[in-house]
Amino acid sequence: MTSLQSSATPLVEMRGISKHFGGIQAVRDVSIDLYPGEVVGILGHNGAGKSCLMRMLSGAMTPSAGEIYLDGEKIEIATPTAARKHGIETIYQNLALANHLDAPANLFLGRELKTRFGNLDDKRMFREAREVLQRLNPNFKNLGDPVAQMSGGQRQVIAIARAIHFNVRALIMDEPTAALGPSETEMVAELVQKLRDEGIGIFLVSHDMHDVFRLCDRVMVMNNGRNVGSHRISDVTQDDILSLIIKGSLPEGWRPRGAAA
Amino acid sequence: MRVFGAGDGTAGLFPREGLGMPVKADMLHRISALVTLIGLIVAFAFLNSAFLTPNNAMSVLLQTAVIGLLGIGLTVVILTGGIDLSVGSVLALSGTVAGLLVKAGLPVPLGMGGGLIVGTLCGMVNGLVITRLRIAPFIATLGMMMIARGLALQLTGASPVSQLGQEFGLLGNGALFRIVETQANGLPRMVFPGIPFPAILLLAVALFAAYVLKRRQFGRHIYAVGSNEEAARLSGVNVECTKLAAYAISGFLAGLAGIVLMSRLVTAQPNEGVMYELDAIAAAVIGGASLMGGVGSISGTMIGAFIIGILRNGLNMAGVSAFIQQIVIGCVVIGAVYIDQLRNRR
Repeated sequence: MTSLQSSATPLVEMRGISKHFGGIQAVRDVSIDLYPGEVVGILGHNGAGKSCLMRMLSGAMTPSAGEIYLDGEKIEIATPTAARKHGIETIYQNLALANHLDAPANLFLGRELKTRFGNLDDKRMFREAREVLQRLNPNFKNLGDPVAQMSGGQRQVIAIARAIHFNVRALIMDEPTAALGPSETEMVAELVQKLRDEGIGIFLVSHDMHDVFRLCDRVMVMNNGRNVGSHRISDVTQDDILSLIIKGSLPEGWRPRGAAA
Repeated sequence: MRVFGAGDGTAGLFPREGLGMPVKADMLHRISALVTLIGLIVAFAFLNSAFLTPNNAMSVLLQTAVIGLLGIGLTVVILTGGIDLSVGSVLALSGTVAGLLVKAGLPVPLGMGGGLIVGTLCGMVNGLVITRLRIAPFIATLGMMMIARGLALQLTGASPVSQLGQEFGLLGNGALFRIVETQANGLPRMVFPGIPFPAILLLAVALFAAYVLKRRQFGRHIYAVGSNEEAARLSGVNVECTKLAAYAISGFLAGLAGIVLMSRLVTAQPNEGVMYELDAIAAAVIGGASLMGGVGSISGTMIGAFIIGILRNGLNMAGVSAFIQQIVIGCVVIGAVYIDQLRNRR
């Protein structure tokens, strides 16, 4: 395991995380950290435990064992609301949108703005939603439609907007480009870089090698619930990563890319 | 930011070009239901001159109040993607409990309050069985349907509780602005029947429910849970609490409908309300609610309840037998849903 920034405290640190469902061990003793302004790719084949690990950080699941630290302080993340209170936001692979609600209702779901009398402040939510959505995609016009009627790209924009609108510090992106066309993928890539520049830490769960090598500073590969390798992206090649994903180990005689040169 | 209905959620995009303004699918459903309702009223008015009299209008209001109250509760439950089959039995249990308490010497308001509490408790039990024991709403409320009916029959020995006093009948039989004059022979004659209390109650409950569903966070969460439960949970919505509250509301309104109905009869009938849950579901569905959850509205359900009420009343006046009425209403339910699907498929 290589550590990048020795200077600062990690933004997020997961230590010795395990999760089992009955007799099935989904995640085994995984430790990983994330620094501010860093993109860490989480890789592995389907069922390797990537999503499970991330769900424990986003509050959708609680770990069977292990600890989570934020700014060096131990925190409990029992619910999605708790994670969001700590500034940990998630963009789920299936986007987790309520199809019958419109864009602002989805963006503010669970954190609705209210008027003084406790009524929903739909006007303000609409205004704020339009602002953030059109910043991400200037062509976003039909905010008031139920999201079921929107394109995959628009739905993705809503899911992203929901994650970054509320003081995000650590962002989990689960396969953010899997269902997108080329121009929308480009939009997401630019956004990742922009958020990183703003000092936000990002866990990027992805199958797309191109995205991983373009966007990530480090990668962690999971195999059968274990962390089988954390590396700087500059140290490894695509073949190294594939070997880790498939076999769970690096090719024989492997040396860091930088050292070999 | 409104909440829109679009059938199964994948379609429902009604062509807007040329209409000049956006028309949403659920809006359209309600408009077509409203047109149907007006058409029925016009048709029955032509068929029978007594149909459009104030007296008859008031009796339709009175008859629809019970189904309307149950329908509001069911709309809330159906919006979460659930169903409540127990409302007819809970109505009977709440009404008989209220009757028994009054019979035992409690003041009428307290006795009726007891009935409401029993109804709410039944709803909460439904909610707990569904959220804690993770039993499907259909099964959980089917069980409660039998339990509540059995309790009502057991408590009363299956016989009606009568002689409850005039005060017990006030809620169901009283009216606002009723004008009664005493005739020369000393007998009272009703000049204007007034607006029945049950109708006023229905209006108040409908307005409040619509407000909560559209303007409060709880209402938004009801729609969200029915639309995508997992998304709602991940967004920090307390799905269990929301569902529990929905069933408690349905139980409370079943209790309210129960005391209204028993008050109207001035007798607590443990056999009342059989199959009422189906009328209430029909009202919600005719009004555009989707049993898949996430789609529906109080205004739609009210229109649906009045379509059923007017059909019953008008067919009665036209001398159509109760059996034929059932057949007609059954066809209306299927037709309403079919037309909705047709529109959404485009």
